[in-house]
Amino acid sequence: MKTQSAMILDPTQDPEQDVVRREHKTLSTPGAFQLKVDAEGIAWLTFDTLGSSVNVFNEATLHELDDYLDVLEGDPEIHALVIASAKDKVFIAGADLKSIRGMKAEQSAGIIALGQAVMSRLAALPMAKVAAIHGACVGGGYELALACDVRVASDDDSTRLGLPETQLGLLPAWGGSTRLPRLIGLMKALDVILAGKVMKAMQAKRMGLVDVVVPREHLMTSAKKLARHTEPKRNAFFMQHLWPLPKLIAMKAKRDLIAKTRGHYLAPLLALDVATRGISMSVEESLALERESMTTLMRTPETARMIDLFFAKEGASKKPWRVGHAMPITEVAVIGAGVMGAGIAQWLASKGMHVTLSDINTEAVGKGMERVRKLVEDGVKHRVLSKREARETLDRIAPAHTAVPLFRQQLVIEAATEDMGLKKKIFAGLAARCSAETILATNTSALSVAELAVGVPHPERVIGLHFFNPVHRMGLVEVITLPETLDDVTATAHGWVQSIGKTPVVVKDSPGFVVNRVLMPYLMEAVKLFEQGQSPQLIDEAMLDFGMPMGPMRLLDEIGLDVAVHVGGTLAAAFPQRMGSSELMASMVAKGWLGKKSGRGFYEHGGKLSTVNTQALAMRTAAVSPMGLVEMQARLAMKLSDEAKMCLDEGVAASSKEVDLAMILGTGYAPFRGGPLAYAEEAQAMS
Amino acid sequence: MKPNLVIIDGVRTPFCRAGTSLAELDAVELGRIAVSALLTRTGIDPHTVDETIFGCVGQPAHAQNIARVIALRAGLPEDKPAMTVHRNCASGMEAITTAYDKMCAGHGEVFIVGGTESMSQMPFYFSRQAVEKFGAISRAKSLPQRLGAVAQFRPDDFAPVIGLKLGLTDPVSEMNMGQTAELLARELGINRDMQDAFALRSQLRAAKAPAHSEIVPVYAHSVVTADNGIRADSSLEKLAKLAPLFDSKCGSVTAGNSSQITDGAVALLVCTEAKALKMDWQPLGRLVDYSYTGCDPKRMGLGPVRAIEALLHRTQLKLADADVIEINEAFAAQVLAVMKCLQDKVSARRCGLEEPLGEVDPAKLNRRGGAIALGHPVGATGARLVLSALLQLRELKAKSALVSLCIGGGQGGAVMLETL
Repeated sequence: MKTQSAMILDPTQDPEQDVVRREHKTLSTPGAFQLKVDAEGIAWLTFDTLGSSVNVFNEATLHELDDYLDVLEGDPEIHALVIASAKDKVFIAGADLKSIRGMKAEQSAGIIALGQAVMSRLAALPMAKVAAIHGACVGGGYELALACDVRVASDDDSTRLGLPETQLGLLPAWGGSTRLPRLIGLMKALDVILAGKVMKAMQAKRMGLVDVVVPREHLMTSAKKLARHTEPKRNAFFMQHLWPLPKLIAMKAKRDLIAKTRGHYLAPLLALDVATRGISMSVEESLALERESMTTLMRTPETARMIDLFFAKEGASKKPWRVGHAMPITEVAVIGAGVMGAGIAQWLASKGMHVTLSDINTEAVGKGMERVRKLVEDGVKHRVLSKREARETLDRIAPAHTAVPLFRQQLVIEAATEDMGLKKKIFAGLAARCSAETILATNTSALSVAELAVGVPHPERVIGLHFFNPVHRMGLVEVITLPETLDDVTATAHGWVQSIGKTPVVVKDSPGFVVNRVLMPYLMEAVKLFEQGQSPQLIDEAMLDFGMPMGPMRLLDEIGLDVAVHVGGTLAAAFPQRMGSSELMASMVAKGWLGKKSGRGFYEHGGKLSTVNTQALAMRTAAVSPMGLVEMQARLAMKLSDEAKMCLDEGVAASSKEVDLAMILGTGYAPFRGGPLAYAEEAQAMS
Repeated sequence: MKPNLVIIDGVRTPFCRAGTSLAELDAVELGRIAVSALLTRTGIDPHTVDETIFGCVGQPAHAQNIARVIALRAGLPEDKPAMTVHRNCASGMEAITTAYDKMCAGHGEVFIVGGTESMSQMPFYFSRQAVEKFGAISRAKSLPQRLGAVAQFRPDDFAPVIGLKLGLTDPVSEMNMGQTAELLARELGINRDMQDAFALRSQLRAAKAPAHSEIVPVYAHSVVTADNGIRADSSLEKLAKLAPLFDSKCGSVTAGNSSQITDGAVALLVCTEAKALKMDWQPLGRLVDYSYTGCDPKRMGLGPVRAIEALLHRTQLKLADADVIEINEAFAAQVLAVMKCLQDKVSARRCGLEEPLGEVDPAKLNRRGGAIALGHPVGATGARLVLSALLQLRELKAKSALVSLCIGGGQGGAVMLETL
């Protein structure tokens, strides 16, 4: 019996919903779904995978859903359906990628067809269908929502919607590429599908991906209202779908894609093709096109690598460190308010950390705070931060120009200039004003952490945390440990890097760690090619064609030639056989040609379009020996792969997966190639 | 037994003339910067703070209970309360004495107290009739109604009511603060030369004062590290050129011999002596006692006279016992009037003292200059005076300090401080 004063402890439970007319016991084995029908004839289908915190679609769950559709079709008293999830942070996380990755061609074709059939059947159910979305609703999960008539989402932070398939080398093939353009129009749908980005509820509403956004507590009440009043929907009319507009839209989108990806990624190209051709066809024909293209994609090795990369990244950014106990970190001090220090401080503050940003005088701190402010303003401009988040980020950064006590900080990150003497001095000073448990980290990119730890009281809490520039865009942090580093310290740093939304890769203290060490021979090889008379533009072109986000010559200009010479010097001292130095580059630095920051390096950076620095060209003495792009590409790419192999053999990182992941996240190494080690393996297999 | 309130440390933003370097920051931002810097400098765990108490006279409409807004934005924990106090020009002092009362009553051991004021951002208001017309627009349901409501406006409605001006006018006597100073100058025979000489002394002392270790930089779009109201090149000739502000014919109170209108904030960490011992915090000094008294709103400038009398009575101390004396320089005429009333028998009687309390030794008074040079961000000044007095005691290795100020509305406040 229900009493009137009964407290509703579970906010997702609508009190009225408790009046269950009957439980359906048609399905013999209890599975991932529960179906209840209330007095009004609204069916509530809840996805609740046993023993898991997520819901995913695989053969079993699709079949089960299909069975429930049988029940719904066969019951004339049901006139509306609400689909919800019982999970705390997930509606439906899409297809079970793990099972897909291992599938043979026939099997995968089978599951594509099964998913499509179930979604189509759901869409055809003669009743109002409401998706009540709380938590992650992506890929196949959102395709299920698309097969419903109306979508209501909770405004919770865990609610994320979108079709990220193209990011994995796939395309939405359970009706997503067909139904989304019909719902929100081709142009917006292409934005969603081709970028493969997932979005929060409010942005999804702006884009038209959901119809209503409510607080989580009102989700079921709102779904019920919608179930009562929604009519099964017909497709909206869009002017842009009239011939020949889709063709023109497709041409433009294709041109943009090719310019951006050089055609390396088949998935967005095929998704574009399916979506644009699909809207001029019947739904059935469009679905057939989805199937066909998806089958093609699933056969490519690139897709397999993208999925592997996804798992590697998920593992690295979610799994706790294998040993040790991770302590919480809420207060951090960053020593040094330069580009890296300010970038780190801004990122941490935007993730909720309280940050003390310190430098030696008010002028230096002022410059750092100005950098932070600029980053925050850019964040607002690009809608990464709301105005409130921007203010909160700035509020969390406390500037300091004197040696303030840091006893309450659990972590101190030194981000001073790359000078061992200076860094040692800072560490000596820090020990006196921190607690013995404070983790002392250095953001060095190549200096020895072990040398830095010498003389520091409690060196077992000294580590390296190598952030990459620009901090807010680079997802990798190399966590450098020493033999004496405590497991708890490693676990804390590792877990903390994950908590701030970055991917940690734990590496040993070895010159250049992984990323810079693997990168350096490649950059030096590029300089050598330049010295031998190759055009810097062609060198860059070769590597852009390879799939790098930036060519090596331009990358050198971005890093700064002085920094490159400095890092190169550190590495050359450690590995004299492999990392030669370049006299030409040294003399360019001597002339003050430091790259982008000084306006001149291998390129001139004055105007909007940079041109080749002809004076640097003139400094070369060697005769031009023409070389093809492919040959240059092979030479440069193998430099990366060779050094990566040596890193792995020396045990700098624990596995080839981690080396590959670090290179992809740290340098943008062509993701579809799977990383320098995967590439080497491939190249070997080919030859 | 009553606990002792000790002051552990204090910081303040630079004090900048309204409309200059800090003009773009509101009172919340100024307060936040001061509190955040205090937390950074002392390194204390914010969880040890039991409550935040801040004074602010012109609380911005978007930050009611500004102390709470400041506390949260400066990173103090959500479960620690905060309250705003208002006693006009003594609000920053009130924050300290309120913390003391709370300690005595057993409500907390560690407090962050202070005051903040953005006189640059004092609001402009609309007149009542204009507000009603705006209301009519928002109530209008149809376009014609809305147009009709808009048509009701007259040019007069858009003349703003200046919040700052309102705040500096006594609502009971309807006299401007400057006019109350003119009244004192007339009644106590304090002429223009005396006022200008006092103002010059304030400027020169402020200019010569040791580097202000209590100032924390403000990282606005430029880095602001110093007070900007101090005029090291001030002279009697320059001061004499200024026109009277409040009585153009016979007046003697000018912009030069009045306190400046200024932006700034002060934050202090205070706690019980027992807590300081336990945490091994080194106090600057302690609060011996305090007193607030009322007086004629038209002669609010004389407020310190009775407040000091009451304080000396409570503490059983004499005026001469104070090694450092801070009397807020709302107006040169007003400080000189207070000094006269403390010393001169006839004048003392006028204030209601039976006997004069004695001479204020000019060498002890406002040694680092006062509000005439540094400015008077009304909500913050009380806390600045206390901090400055304690730092002077430390510099002089002296024992006790008397701090007093006059309060708009006809009150005086005084506190006695001493080193441990």
